Amino acid sequence: MAKRFFVKEFPSTTPAVAEALTEALSSLSATGWISPEKTFSIRLCLEEALVNAVMHGNQNCPECLVRVEMFDEGEHCRITVQDEGEGFDVETLEMPDCTQLGGRGVCLIKEFMEDVRFNGSNNSLEMVFNRSTFSEACA
Amino acid sequence: MSAGNPATMEEQPVLITFDDNGAITVGTIVSTSVLDMTNVAAFSEQVIDYCMGRPGIHLLLDFSNVTFLASSALTELLRIDAALKTIGGSVRLCSLVPDIRNVFEITNLNTLFVIHEDDTVEKARARFERSLAVAAEEDAWSSE
Repeated sequence: MAKRFFVKEFPSTTPAVAEALTEALSSLSATGWISPEKTFSIRLCLEEALVNAVMHGNQNCPECLVRVEMFDEGEHCRITVQDEGEGFDVETLEMPDCTQLGGRGVCLIKEFMEDVRFNGSNNSLEMVFNRSTFSEACA
Repeated sequence: MSAGNPATMEEQPVLITFDDNGAITVGTIVSTSVLDMTNVAAFSEQVIDYCMGRPGIHLLLDFSNVTFLASSALTELLRIDAALKTIGGSVRLCSLVPDIRNVFEITNLNTLFVIHEDDTVEKARARFERSLAVAAEEDAWSSE
């Protein structure tokens, strides 16, 4: 049974996102899901997800909220990032070519996470990774 | 994302210093080990502001102090690349840590940017300068 170990709701501003990112990473570290040597990828995934929620989901509206939750599902950790937008189709997103300025965030998340999907029932991006992916624990 | 930036552009610290002693200008990212949503816009502005007054500038960006880079930084590097091309210049990268190099490979931006892997900054600078000299020689031959 999934056990939530982190929840934070915050407005769509840069300082709030930065704070949420720091707190989420601290929580993942404190609960053993990530080790100091392997924070790059998870930090990247979290930042991309949070920034997308603010920019695309909430259209940079400062008053719109983003909600991050993290769940311990035994061998997997599930991170959900919820915004107030319409959602998008994760499956169809492909890595942009070099002529495009942006649009690489979700593709990077898909590269590092075991599973990435959009949950239409609660308008959230879900990212799942295995316990051994970013920690020192062996599978 | 600009709402509630932690500092205005004017308040951002100097994120990059430039050494333009020679044909290649080396831009070293300083005062931060992270290029992300909090500072990439300022980073890009500082680079472009410096370069646009120097037509034909060839910039080598030294990432030796950078341990984290978000995709927003990739976007700004593309802007920098496009801006330098408009003034007959170019940009190359060096001293990327493996995690960052991996991001360039995943995004295929290693096919756009010349990345001096495993070179010291000085070696990268020398190689960059040599490649410009070779290109100039080839241009001279083809125009004869």
